[in-house]
Order: sequence, then C-alpha cells, then structure tokens
Amino acid sequence: MSDTLPKTEQTDELLSSHNYDGIQEYDNPTPGWWNWLFIGTIVFAPVYVLWFHSPVRENNLQTQFQTAMAENLKLQFGDLKLEPTGDNVLKYLNDEKWLDFGKTTFATHCVQCHGREGEGVSAPNLTDDSYKNVKTIADIPKVVSEGANNGAMPAWTKLHPNEIVFVSAYVASLRGKNLPSTRGVEGDEIDPWPEPPPREPSETKPEAEVSG
Amino acid sequence: MHDSTTASEATTAPHGSGPAPTDGPLESFSYDDAIVRKFVTATLVWGVVGFLVGIVLALELPFPWLNGGIEWITFGRLRPLHTNAVIFAFAGNAIFAAIYYSTQRLCKARMWSDTLSNLHFWGWQLIIVSAALTLPFGITQSKEYAELEWPIDIAIAVVWAGFFGVNFFMTLIVRRERHLYVAIWFYIATIVTVAVLHIFNNLWVPLVAMGTPGTALAWFKSYPIYAGAQDAMMQWWYGHNAVAFFLTTPFLGLMYYFLPKAAGRPIFSYRLSILHFWSLVFIYIWAGPHHLHYTATAEWLQTLGMVFSIMLWMPSWGGMINGLLTLRGVWHKVPGDPVLKFFVVGITFYGMSTFEGPMLSVKSVNALSHYTDWTIGHVHAGALGWNGFMAFGMIYWLAPRLYQTKLHSIAQANLHFWLATAGILVYAISMYVAGLTQGLMWLGINDAGQLAYPDFVQTTQAIIPMYWIRVVGGLLYLGGTLIGCWNIYCTWKARPAKYEVPVYQAPALKDVPFTPEQPPESDLVAVLEVGKKIDTWSTLWWHRVWERLPIKFTIMTTLAVVIASLMELVPAFVVRSNIPTIDTVKPYTPLELAGRDIYVSEGCYNCHSQMIRPLVAETVRYGDYSLAGESIYDHPFQWGSRRIGPDLAREGGVRGNDWHVRHFLEPQVMTQGSIMPPYPWLMKKKIDFESVPLRIAAQQALGVPYPQYEGDDRSQAAEDAKTQAKGIYREYMQITGKPFRDADGEEIDLSDKQVVALIAYLQRLGVDRYAAPDAEAPVPDGEPAAQSDEVVAGAPDEQGAT
Repeated sequence: MSDTLPKTEQTDELLSSHNYDGIQEYDNPTPGWWNWLFIGTIVFAPVYVLWFHSPVRENNLQTQFQTAMAENLKLQFGDLKLEPTGDNVLKYLNDEKWLDFGKTTFATHCVQCHGREGEGVSAPNLTDDSYKNVKTIADIPKVVSEGANNGAMPAWTKLHPNEIVFVSAYVASLRGKNLPSTRGVEGDEIDPWPEPPPREPSETKPEAEVSG
Repeated sequence: MHDSTTASEATTAPHGSGPAPTDGPLESFSYDDAIVRKFVTATLVWGVVGFLVGIVLALELPFPWLNGGIEWITFGRLRPLHTNAVIFAFAGNAIFAAIYYSTQRLCKARMWSDTLSNLHFWGWQLIIVSAALTLPFGITQSKEYAELEWPIDIAIAVVWAGFFGVNFFMTLIVRRERHLYVAIWFYIATIVTVAVLHIFNNLWVPLVAMGTPGTALAWFKSYPIYAGAQDAMMQWWYGHNAVAFFLTTPFLGLMYYFLPKAAGRPIFSYRLSILHFWSLVFIYIWAGPHHLHYTATAEWLQTLGMVFSIMLWMPSWGGMINGLLTLRGVWHKVPGDPVLKFFVVGITFYGMSTFEGPMLSVKSVNALSHYTDWTIGHVHAGALGWNGFMAFGMIYWLAPRLYQTKLHSIAQANLHFWLATAGILVYAISMYVAGLTQGLMWLGINDAGQLAYPDFVQTTQAIIPMYWIRVVGGLLYLGGTLIGCWNIYCTWKARPAKYEVPVYQAPALKDVPFTPEQPPESDLVAVLEVGKKIDTWSTLWWHRVWERLPIKFTIMTTLAVVIASLMELVPAFVVRSNIPTIDTVKPYTPLELAGRDIYVSEGCYNCHSQMIRPLVAETVRYGDYSLAGESIYDHPFQWGSRRIGPDLAREGGVRGNDWHVRHFLEPQVMTQGSIMPPYPWLMKKKIDFESVPLRIAAQQALGVPYPQYEGDDRSQAAEDAKTQAKGIYREYMQITGKPFRDADGEEIDLSDKQVVALIAYLQRLGVDRYAAPDAEAPVPDGEPAAQSDEVVAGAPDEQGAT
C-alpha cells in the first residue's frame, strides 16, 4: 500500500478489451491465502457434518443436552432424592445451604407474583402469619405442586421434587419477617411451624457424596 | 492468457470509449440523470426518517413510558417501520440510484423506458408510505423484513419485477456495450433473487378471500401458507437472503462502478470478480438456517446453514479484496477525498461484518449470541457501516455530476464522515458489550447448578447503560447524515438554471464487427487430453462468452440461486421426520386465534421469543425445550429473534389471568425494572368477534383441522369465542374478588376486550404437549400405528428422564 507506484504494478496485466465507461480491469491472480482459506472452509464442511451427524455415534444437540442436563442435576443434588412432604420441608427449614437453593428457585419462578422478598404483589404476602391455602407446613409443597385459586397459583409440575422441597422450605422460612406489603391480610392466621428436627450435617453436603 | 481476446482483435473491435469502426450509422443517445436525482433525494429523506425512528426506538427501551400511552408508536409496532425504512427505503433508493446511474453508462444506453423508470420511482415511494401508514396500526405479517401485508406485497412484486426488472433487462437488451461489466452481474443477481425471495416468502391466504371483513384491519389480514418450523425455514431463507441480495450484491455492484471511478484505478482482479460472484450467489442461499440454531428446526438444516456460512467467508472477502486492492497506488489520495474515505470505511465494515457473520453462525458461538444485542450490533455494522457508508460515498461522488456544480463543502463532507464513523463505532461496541453481557448472564449457572441470574429483569437492567451509549452512537450517525443532507441541499441550490444533457454517440451492437471468443491453447505438455481441457476451462475464458449473453447470464444466475434453494428447501418440506407430530397438540380455539392475531399485530415477537433452546440454563429458566411439533398450527410462526423480554414458549398456565391484566396495565409494578411499555388500550378496544369465522375459515383453507366449524357451523366460532372470553373474565373476577376498574375507578366489563383474547392465547402457549390424550377424539384406523415411530410422547420430561 505504498504511495509510489507499487512494484506489483509491473506484474499487473491490464485486460485490453475491458473498458467500461472508462473502468479497466487487471487480471491479477487471486491471493494464495484467499484460495487456501476458501478450500479450507470447503474441506471443513464434510468433516464437521460427519463429526456431529455421525452414523456410528450419537452426538447431536439432543444428546449433548441430555448429558449436560444429567451433569447439572448431579451438580445440584448429587444422589439426594426427596419426596415433597411436610417432614422434608421441616427438615431443611434451618439449612442455610438448601434454603439458598430454594431462594434461587423462588427468584426464578415466584417473584413475579409474590414479590422479590415474598412481600406479595399479585399473590399473597408470604412473610406474615396468615395463609389462604396453607394450614400446615405440608400444604406448602402441596400448593406448589398442585396450584391454587383457579390457576392464579399454577401447579409447578416442571420443578424437580427436591426443588419443591427447598422452595417450600424457603417460603416457610419467610414467615415472620412481616414485610410491608400492598396486600392486606389474606386468609387465616395459622399455628407456628413445628420445631425442625436436629440437623444431620452429612445429608446437606452432596458434594462429598459426589466425590465419594 | 486468461482472456481470449488478443491484442490484434482489440484494435479491430474495441469495446472501450474510443471511436469504433462500424458497418452502420452512429446512434445518438443521452442518459437519464433526472431519475437518479430523484432516487438520491429519496435516499436522503428516508435515511433521515429511518435513523430518526431508530433513535426513538433506542430511547423507548430505557424509557418504556416514552410512547406516552399511544399505541401506534410502541416499540413492537415501530420496530418493523425502522427496519423496513432503513432497508427498503434508505438502502433501496440508494441502490436504485446506483443502478440507474451506472447501468446506463455501462451499457452505453439510456434506460429502456423513462415511463417505467418513473413508475418504479413513484411506485416504490408509495410502497414506503403505505408501510408507514400500516405498520403503526398493527397491520403486519410479523415476518421480519417481510411485515408488509398482502396488498402491499402485490404492489412490491409489480414495482420490482414489472417496472424495475423489465426496464433493467430491456436496457441490457438494447445496450451498445457488448460485454456486461461485473457491476451488472451483481445487479442481475439482485433483481432476480429478490423477486424469487419476495414471492415465495409471501404466499398467503387473506381473510378477504373467505368473505367480507367488517373492519379495515381484518381486510388487510392474511395468514402465510407455511406454519411453524416450515414458516421459520422460509422466513429465514428470505430474511438471510434479503441481506444477501438487497444489502450485499447491489452494494458490491455499486462498489465495482463507483470505486474505480472515484479512485481512477483499474479493478484489482477480473478473475477474482468471477470467482467471488458465482461462489457468493450460490453459497449465500444455503446459509439461512443459521438464524435458527438450537431451535426446533431439524438439526441437519442448522448444520447446513452453519457450514455454508463458513464457506461464505472467502467469497465475501473476495469483494473486499477487489475493493481495497483497487486502491493500490492511490492510498495517498484517500485522506483528502471524502468519497474514498467513505468507501474505504464502508468496505472495511463489509469485511468485518462478513467475518463476524460466519463466526456468529458457528453453533456454539450462536448459543451465546442468539436473541441478544450482539446480533443488533452486527446488523448495524452492516447497515450503517457498509450500506450507509457506500451510499454516502456514492452520493458525494454523484452530487457534483448530477447537480453540475461543485460540492458545496468538502469540510462538511469530512465532518459527516467523522461523525458517522464515530457513531457506528459507538453503536456497534455498545451493542457487542450488551449482547455479550446479557448472553453470559442468561447462560450463567452457579456452583449449585442453578441460574446465576434467576430473575430475567436482572439481565435487562445490566445492559441499560449500553442502551444509553447506543443512543449517543445513533445521534452521532444521524447528526452526520443531517450535515450530509444540508451539504447536498446546498449543492443542489447552486445548480445551473438548466441541466446540460450531453449527447453521446455509439454504433448499435449489431453494427459492430465481432469475432467470437476462442478457447486459449493449454500450455500443458505431457498430460492427458482431459487435463488440457481442464486447464483451458480454468482460464475462465468461457465466462467472457457469458458476459455478452445477458439472457444466458440471467438464466445461469437464476439457476444457481434456485437450485441451491430447492436442494435445501425441498427436503426440509417433504421429509416427515423433520417435524415429528405430537398427538396432544391441537389447533387454537377461535378466541385464542383472535388473541394470537393481536399478539402479531402488537408486534410482541419483536421482544419476546417463543422458542426454548436445548441448553441447560434455558430449560431451567423456562421449561422443556420447544419441539417442532408444538408449532404446526402456527401461521405465521412466532419464534422471534430477540429476547428484550423473556421467552414465552411455556407461558401458558404459569400466571393467573389477573396477573396478566395488571401486567399489561402496569408492567413496572408487576416486575420492578421491566422495560415493557403499558398496554392500556387492550382494556378498551373490543375484540373483532365478527371476523372470527373468517379467521377460522382462512385457517381451514390452510389445512388446520376445525371439523366443528365446517360449512354452516362456521358462525359458531364467534359464539364459542364469546363464551370463552366470558369464562376468562369470570375467572379474573373469582381470583381478584371484584370486577375490573380502570385508572379512573370506572368498572369495565373485560369480557369483550382485546386483553381477554390475548390472555387466552398466552395461557395456551406451550401447554398442549403435557395435555392428557383426548379419549373422545376419533382415531382413524391404522393411522396411529403408521405414525408411531414419529410421534413424540405426550409429556417427555427431559429433566426427569435423566
């Protein structure tokens, strides 16, 4: 790109018959790197196709997803398998780690109606002592799984049973914070949650189980 | 060696500008520059309009209240107006100016018909005006860059093919230059392919074909003949190639004429022109499915889209090389010449965008970039950087020639250049940052295997500062454009009282003696005869023959485009396993269909996708990934291409009807930090129940099964819609315990209001797959067994299955 007439000029071959409104054309060969990159991208195509659509090995997006999903499930819960019962909710009521898990689930699916802190927006305040559809702690996972109030509270069938336990435990843990809410008192005041059982630390550390 | 015409032939039959020996009389002709002046004016006017609407949109995101409650200018309604204005009005008029100016000179012939030229000009402007008069009112097909409804589609076909196409090809027929220059090849590809794309992506059944609609809105309404995954395939075959053949090939043609003229240098390589033209035309067509990576489109189609996009890299760069290397020896002129500066930056942006495009089409990169502002940054680098700079470079070169006076101000042109350059850089960089930020936040998984950013609105709030910076970039670019307009206006003011119209002379082609090209002898020795033939063929001497046969050239171009299209589209449509059906997926109810049409009309798809990809973070956030069988009744498909708001594919049943009503009224109350505008008119405007039977009839014509509404039972559809609407409002009142009241406290019966239809549609999204099989539905004998291997189980639970 020198400003003096470039040396390449001498190899430029002007096409004598090409003159269109004064525009002329050289017939320079295509640059070598251009040729080879073009050929490279063409050769890449069948290699890529065979790698991901191999007749002998399943490697498509679905199988990749299923593998990733299985790994993620293991990362989430290890071998932990819980039934969404009141006892299980109670068991994790004071477990910081799993409450945190429940909090993230809550933030993913519940905050739009119940508010970021559970204070209630279009759905009831979860931080006071009054409940519409909950009489005992076992009713929380039940409402989460089955829904309530004509679908205003949907049935969260897409949640993993463990997730239902943890999000229920998180919801139960919100009780008593009594955050200011635009919603009035709804439902009836119910008895306090029973005393949680003593913690068994080993069960709260699935990482240990995964590595072991 | 590479050209068959020898030096001795050149002296006897020159095709250059010198006087030609001839057997017949010289013909006198002049060029029609008045039409070019018109197109230049339209380019500038629509450019300002398109950019201005862009800035309004850019502001509406951080300021969702900016529309002031006016439904016609919400983001959803206005965004198609912005894209259409910039693509078809600004870039469109620019390429027409380029084609009308250069074709006449490259063919040594006036445009075949001044009448057609003017019909083309005024017809096109009328189409643009009609776009501006329909899109804000929600008259849209919702297919990106093909939003305009059926009557305008017909007008586009007539103006493009009937006026522009005929005029252009007849000019080639009556030309006085034997061979077609490379710019003309690109114009041919443009005209033919855009016509094919436009027609086949816009096949529809209008409601009016089914009876007389009661409202203007319904009169304009149509449904595309394709549905779901097939509609997506057609749309992005169109959408991607609109970029190829509306924003790339004509601008390459523009470059091939105006760049060597402005630089006074020969084109770098004729051979490269041939190679990159044909490879570009053939390969581009395949690349469309890269817009559908990780969607429910069959995976082999996505793979084809990706590998062809990568193959497209060098053909695209062929154009960039031929542009930049043409400037060898004149680089010292570039800093002082605004025209060359615009061209150099434009071509550089072309090179950047055509590297970025193949990169974004790599599936794993696309997993991050898709649905984000990265794509928005990419397209603006193309539209403002490449198309805009090439258009303005051309206009600055044309201005003194068209207005026959000096350019008003070189300094202003330079200022325009620097403002535009700064503007596009600020724009693109802010959008890259926004896209990467949001993409990474969406996919982020924390140590516990959960979403790192569980609340979608967190990811929206994170990029608001980038929206601000984007506005600054847009303002800089618009500011430059306004200075450019002023400069051209002042140049025009200084025009002579009467334009000079030079008269040229040249013989008719038939009167010019001509020796047909001969294949060169191969230099190879000691090889097989076939080796020599290949050697001769590879000199591309035969291409010179094609260049003097415009009809053959056009047919070959058409074949390249059509064959590539058919090879991809035919298997996509006929292989049944591409779209496995799901037994429990049923057509929408009449009310849901009416609600769906409101969703389309409001342009919800501009901000919300309905396509969950098979990525862990995505299924954790939204639910099971979408399957092709779920959208088989979606005329048109609503998968979307951007997530300014969250995906809605599994919105059905997630929230109560009361939530939706309140959310449409006050999105920020329901979701703090949401940037969705309020939709208060949905609670005021009535559902068009009268047209519901027509909508059902049009769907029936497309093969959607509504056995209960056949023939005389069709009017029942309106009654059923009313019943369902009442039910939804009743549910609303049961949940809230009271009737709906508007902001003034006045009680409003929502059961005939649009909001109810829209909610009916939203509550249906993504739920059919989990529905219990309908035991009462009649099962035709034998059918289920034959289909069984293609039927996806009613409720596959990917999360549970693992």
